[in-house]
Amino acid sequence: MKNEKVPSEKGFFAWLAKVLGHEKWNSVTVPIFTIILTLIVSSIFLLILGKNPLTAFYSFLAGNGFAAKASYGAGNGMLSDFFAFLNIMAPMLLAALAFIFAYRCGLFNIGIAGQMLMSGFMATILVGYNKALPAAVAKPLVIIVGLVVGGLLGAFVGFLKYRFNIHEVVSTIMINYIISFLTGFFINSRYVDSITRSSKICSSAARLTCTKVLIGGYYCNVPLGIVVALIMVFVVKFIFDRTVFGFDLRAVGSNRNAATYAGINVGKSIIMSMMLSGCLAGLAGVTYYLGYTNTIIPKTLAGMGYDAIATALLGNNTPVGAIFASVLITIFQNGANYMSSTLGVAKEIASVITGILLLFSACSGFFRYLSKNKLNRIADEKRALERARKEAESK
Amino acid sequence: MSYINAMITSGLAFAIPLFIMAVGGIYSEKSGITNLAVEGFQGFGAFCGAVVAVFLGMNTGLSSSAIIYVAMLFSFIGGAIYAIIHALLCIKFRADQVISGVVINILGVALTTFLTTTINTALFGNASNKFTLGVSPRFSVPGISKIPIIGAVFTNIYPFEIIILIIAVYAWYLMYKTKFGMRLRACGENPQAVDAAGGDGAKTRFLAVMSSGGLSGIGGICFAYSLLSQFSPSIYLGYGYLAIAAMIFGNWNIIPTFFVCIFFGIARAGGYQLCLAMGLASIYSDLFLMIPYILTLLLLMFFSKRNHPPKAAGEVYDKGKR
Repeated sequence: MKNEKVPSEKGFFAWLAKVLGHEKWNSVTVPIFTIILTLIVSSIFLLILGKNPLTAFYSFLAGNGFAAKASYGAGNGMLSDFFAFLNIMAPMLLAALAFIFAYRCGLFNIGIAGQMLMSGFMATILVGYNKALPAAVAKPLVIIVGLVVGGLLGAFVGFLKYRFNIHEVVSTIMINYIISFLTGFFINSRYVDSITRSSKICSSAARLTCTKVLIGGYYCNVPLGIVVALIMVFVVKFIFDRTVFGFDLRAVGSNRNAATYAGINVGKSIIMSMMLSGCLAGLAGVTYYLGYTNTIIPKTLAGMGYDAIATALLGNNTPVGAIFASVLITIFQNGANYMSSTLGVAKEIASVITGILLLFSACSGFFRYLSKNKLNRIADEKRALERARKEAESK
Repeated sequence: MSYINAMITSGLAFAIPLFIMAVGGIYSEKSGITNLAVEGFQGFGAFCGAVVAVFLGMNTGLSSSAIIYVAMLFSFIGGAIYAIIHALLCIKFRADQVISGVVINILGVALTTFLTTTINTALFGNASNKFTLGVSPRFSVPGISKIPIIGAVFTNIYPFEIIILIIAVYAWYLMYKTKFGMRLRACGENPQAVDAAGGDGAKTRFLAVMSSGGLSGIGGICFAYSLLSQFSPSIYLGYGYLAIAAMIFGNWNIIPTFFVCIFFGIARAGGYQLCLAMGLASIYSDLFLMIPYILTLLLLMFFSKRNHPPKAAGEVYDKGKR
């Protein structure tokens, strides 16, 4: 008999494999596992820099209104921080949904940043600078402009893919540049604010974030975008889970040839899914440029367009998962300033931690694979033991 | 006339670093690893080169052009080392290759910005996020540079343009004329066949991704020494993505990609010079800078039908798959 170390069904790793490889729960346990790994690795990183990781994580939470800060400015409190957190989370969640929508259909929408910029720009000049409109008209109009502009851009990318076989990654990159230069030109030549060098701010009637609302004695910036984003989560979930159209899209995403064979119109699916992805990106754009920032810096694409890809991935490419993922990523990114001020570490450390988190979540498929392997081995071993015992009994 | 000369000279200075990044992309994709990470590779490579350059500039009496060569070497090494992460994720950890690429880019921006600030604080005491590098000296070939139009190619050349072309020729030779190159290309079409023929698919892919990182790193440091004259987060302008577009436009082959890059460079510089020649305000240059991207989209409409991406690109390599 070979004298090798046999894997046992007890022990830490076997337990871990059971948890991570669980058919029903692995979509929850694996992300939690990656988060724990990230916290461990970034703690080590912070310890090397000579900082207390617990203080750092507490500061991240405090910076987003999940925990109390040491001191607050006049009229500010935990609630103000929490609303500020929601204000930036809304476009992040919408942008992640935009990526998910295209990804489920087998398409990579790298152009979210460009679609956001274009729809934000159009909404700003069409509605944001129109002082005559009352808020009740302006706000829905902003959302409609975002949907239409984003949708048209997305549909154009889908059309190029379907009609001319232009890879969507290339066309969206080109379109990103074109949009960036085009809007940059118009902002610089017509709409620039001579002091800030970015576009003039839009009217508060059109802005999707209500500023300085008094809630519980604190001044808060209440974002309407978060409501839009949460509605969209359920719309996207409904489309994918409950409609024939959503089923077609998913079928095209998992196997294009099989979908064609089954009689699904692949070209239409590609264009539709890019269009709806663009619509969501457009919504992200208006909540970002007419909610969070209220101005557009010319010739700058929002980094959020790319971060959203990672957020979608962390959320397992599911709409509900995206909520949790965007909460987590926003906590790190939005809390960076406060963490930097309490800890005295450059605020870029937050992006590094986000990067590590994404690195591990990119490996989540591997964790599942490993734990399946481990479970299979344990099962094999059990069977072998059983057989050996039966043989011994029969003798 | 001087506008045309300036267009060719500055067009080449832009096209050639872009080209080496595209060659990096080709190496990775031909081996079957989809590479959206060029942007991150070039930034991290440039960061390593810039750190070495700043360090050498402070501690040794090396001349500035000697420092550039050392910096190029280290940006190759740095890019290759950083590419190990992408290779590990895609080959060993079975990650989705597009997603891995995006993650590598995000991590690259974060790491280099953080480290630059930290190093600046430690060395100079101010938390600046850039290393000032200066612009590489240029030279003109005597005699030939006097010929009209063609002479512009030999005027005001950055020395790194020559080095890059030499490296690119070697990269072409390696890919199309050697056993390693043949296996690399086979890995992108059918990695199982490489294993059956006695090669090591995983190892070949690993080396290909590392070379991809190194070559992209060289492109990055050259941009840092020409366009930007510094290393800062502004190096992440999206030229890595542009290189990917050039690669796809060039149908994943080195020689067509070279001409695509030249086209990008000339169109970009041409737009700028056209704006100057027409005597328009500098704001209008933005409109002209759109031209290369619009032209690319239009040209792709005609040429994309024939595109042949490597068959196995984007697939996780599974030894047992038939």
